[in-house]
Amino acid sequence: MASDTSKRSSYFLITPMAAIFAVFLVIPLVTIVIVSFWDYDEYRILPDFILENYSYLLGSSVTWSIYLNTLKYAALTWLFTLLIGFTVAYFLAFHVRSLTWQIVLFMVCTIPFWTSNIIRMISWIPFLGRNGLLNSALINLGIVDQPLEFLLFSDFAVVLADVHLYALFMVVPIFNSMMRIDRSLIEAARDAGASGFETLKSVIVPLSKPGIAIGSIFVITVVMGDFITVRLMSGGQSASVGLQISNEIGLLQYPAAAASAVVLLITVLLIVTALLRLVDIRKEL
Amino acid sequence: MTIDIKKSAKNLLTDNAVSRRGFVKGAAVATGAAIGSGAITGFPTIWAQNIKNVTLRQFGTGVSNINAIGDKVKEDLGFTLQMTALDSDAVAQRAVTQPNSFDIADIEYWICKKVFPAGTMQPMDTTKLKNYKYISKLFIDGKLTPDSEIAQGTAPHTVGFVEGKDSVDFASEPTQWMTLIPTIYNADTLGIRPDLIDRPIDSWADLLDPAFKGKASILNIPSIGIMDAAMVCEAMGKVTYGDKGNMTKDEIDKTIAIMIDAKNEGQFRAFWKSFDESVNLMASGEVVIQSMWSPAVAAVRSKGIACKYQPLKEGYRAWGGGIGLAKHLSGLELEAAYEYIDWYLSGWVGAYLNRQGYYSAAPETAKKFMSEDEWGFWMEGEAAEGDILSPEGKVMEKAGAVRDGGSYEERMGSVACWNSVMDENKHMIRKWNEFIAA
Amino acid sequence: MADARKTRERRPTSFYVLAAFFALFVLFLYGPMLTIFILSFQGENGGLTFPMNGFSFHWFGNLFERQAVGDFGGSFLRSLKLGLIVMVVTVVVSFMAGLAFRRRFKGDSIVFYLAIASLIVPSILISLGIGLLFNIIEWQPQWFTSALGAHLTWTFPFGLLIMFAVFNRFDPSYEEAARDLGASNWQTIQYVVLPMVGPSLIGVAMFSFTLSYDEFARTLMTAGALNTLPLEIYGMTTNVTTPVLYALGTVTTGFSFLVIALALGSVAILRMRKGQKA
Repeated sequence: MASDTSKRSSYFLITPMAAIFAVFLVIPLVTIVIVSFWDYDEYRILPDFILENYSYLLGSSVTWSIYLNTLKYAALTWLFTLLIGFTVAYFLAFHVRSLTWQIVLFMVCTIPFWTSNIIRMISWIPFLGRNGLLNSALINLGIVDQPLEFLLFSDFAVVLADVHLYALFMVVPIFNSMMRIDRSLIEAARDAGASGFETLKSVIVPLSKPGIAIGSIFVITVVMGDFITVRLMSGGQSASVGLQISNEIGLLQYPAAAASAVVLLITVLLIVTALLRLVDIRKEL
Repeated sequence: MTIDIKKSAKNLLTDNAVSRRGFVKGAAVATGAAIGSGAITGFPTIWAQNIKNVTLRQFGTGVSNINAIGDKVKEDLGFTLQMTALDSDAVAQRAVTQPNSFDIADIEYWICKKVFPAGTMQPMDTTKLKNYKYISKLFIDGKLTPDSEIAQGTAPHTVGFVEGKDSVDFASEPTQWMTLIPTIYNADTLGIRPDLIDRPIDSWADLLDPAFKGKASILNIPSIGIMDAAMVCEAMGKVTYGDKGNMTKDEIDKTIAIMIDAKNEGQFRAFWKSFDESVNLMASGEVVIQSMWSPAVAAVRSKGIACKYQPLKEGYRAWGGGIGLAKHLSGLELEAAYEYIDWYLSGWVGAYLNRQGYYSAAPETAKKFMSEDEWGFWMEGEAAEGDILSPEGKVMEKAGAVRDGGSYEERMGSVACWNSVMDENKHMIRKWNEFIAA
Repeated sequence: MADARKTRERRPTSFYVLAAFFALFVLFLYGPMLTIFILSFQGENGGLTFPMNGFSFHWFGNLFERQAVGDFGGSFLRSLKLGLIVMVVTVVVSFMAGLAFRRRFKGDSIVFYLAIASLIVPSILISLGIGLLFNIIEWQPQWFTSALGAHLTWTFPFGLLIMFAVFNRFDPSYEEAARDLGASNWQTIQYVVLPMVGPSLIGVAMFSFTLSYDEFARTLMTAGALNTLPLEIYGMTTNVTTPVLYALGTVTTGFSFLVIALALGSVAILRMRKGQKA
């Protein structure tokens, strides 16, 4: 009897969230899948069942080079955010001793993330440009005599902006995992004669894995679907899967965009499933 | 000067009162009231009161969706014009997919070719427009002067008319039903930084000159970019086209292959999508040669940076835009929209646009709102006698300056091709995406 | 014992290396914002890039004047309203869901995986899907319908995960005590649960407001006729050639600081009140 009412209240409590997910997540995704089989002309989408969108997408060498490019951005961003995120989290968790200082330093890192992403992105442009701050400084210091061209409108610029935008998403979960490591384990390792590096390798890294996995999932999925960073920082010269979808949307080729979207979704799900094998999110919170 | 303008504006409005009378009757019946005695002054009372409540929502590219126009509409016509500026892709998309989100669409002719057949817009009855007769012949039969040749591409007159009131089929001859009332157009060419380029530029082929490696740019709107690319390839003598405005698959493939080679060689610094991006690229020195739009050149110059809109021997690539009515408009709103469109052609906006370096679709009416010196500089290709000011009152050109490319006739007379949408559009866009992804 | 304390007090070399790394990281985060901040004080005739052409507040004034195109004020208000709606809905719905998930029920893992899916599905897909859906059923996308829904799919997972973190550490004995004292379910929630999870709910509120306020990709196809602030800023990056864009950056950053300060302030006040009561 009692469990019946509590069950009913559980359903009552979960309904709003479930309903929003149904209407704004499930149905739209189903719509995308359906539309990906539709036909289109210059200005309309035509209900149909064709495989042409997929056969062109999967048969085109462009798709493969775009995916390669996107995976390259995702992998590089992941690598750098992981290295930076782990180091920063390690510093905050194990070297900063008072809670107040941890909070203060954390806030210092967080504050820039409250500024518009787009503004943070374009703020690199006057910095990295041909006549930008960095190039002027390098030339004035006599380090280079020609401005460095690769700094802006390049893969370098894209990855730099991505790392800049998403590093904190790696710091937070790793820090969270590290704070939950029992300090006596580290003492024990040290007492057993382990060097700092060995402690790091055999105690801290394994126990930080859940945080690393969560941060990685976040960074990789965001970069895989990104289009605006690629567009602004590559000067429109590079393509990514997200940018391809956004271009197709812009050109009213919704069914083509939908097919690209389905393929992207499958790719992302595969990556995430692989990562989820490393960690049970629900338990780790 | 200002008094003159006001007077002529008033005259135009009073003239309109006659043609509006038919509607006033309708409105009067609908509201069950007698015809206002105000007809004598040009603004019938009922009309004047009702129209103040009308809000027309216009959307279009930033080019002509200028807030100053909205203010002037409020002042001259009394109703509210709400404007949203979008990029050209988004414009086409909204016109087709959200037909109820706008009342007036401000779109380009090549977009019109895609959008109008979708049936979300209604053609305009030209007999209701008093200023119809002032519209440049370029938009009526494609000929600037009786003996000029019709350029390739989606020339505005080819999509300017439909067969009838409810038709979506473009007419081959001018009819009573116009799809878009032309508002603004221009001839585009390459913009260069003469201070950073030490040799004369006279051909589209110069865009791919290895001397400008890493310092060139082209616009990344497929339908327009492909035209610039075609102008370049043709000038280089590498591809010959039957019709650049409607290329075959083979021509598209060849063009894109040349562009991909150039891209892989590192010819391009960046691609731009909106005209201000091109301003920033040019002003910051990232790019020294690129396809460009006229006001963008003016904007670079207004920062005190040398920039030239270089006329080229192969001619210009032209584009034109216009405003059209949403299908759902009817009654008072529709009449307000007609009123607005007629006003658009009556000269004030035309002068405003001319002063930005575009061309007005009804040059004769625009002339009335411009000083002789302004008209001479912008339209006749003459040296400016005094400083030439932008519509906002900023000095754009010093006394003595001559417009790049010369007069209206010289520039619009040497159009090689209009922006267009091709039969092989799908294929072209796919190839263009290959170019961007390469 | 005394020895151990001594070694603790002496910082190892690695501390200084890591501290230097941390300082560099902070510089990396703030550096480019600094360029924007400086350039927003560009002189009247200055451009988008260095060098500075004088110093002025001109562009801040210019920001609040009418631009040639666009409507900055309107889009800012729209984003503010949308952010607040998203915030309230997210706090209430996540709290409810958090309560629901304290017991197992049939289908709980479905909702959980939906939340995870919502987190990892690229934003542009949500935007495309909702845009298409509204298109097909011929509804007009509006910022307060389709965009609101799109934003909620983004804020709910965070809200839910934070609630998980909170309730996993929540000691049920307080509630039991309250029930033993005869409190109803609602009273238990109102007087026991809410005060205890209050600070986390403020966290959820702050988080969801910022996520919504700054969301671009999900809004792109769902905002309908009127722009939100990020869409407007994106439009400005392609439509503006003067430092007014940087002035906007400085102002919006300032506004974000204000929001943080308000939120932190309210947490501090809550803490203080709690302290006084205890």
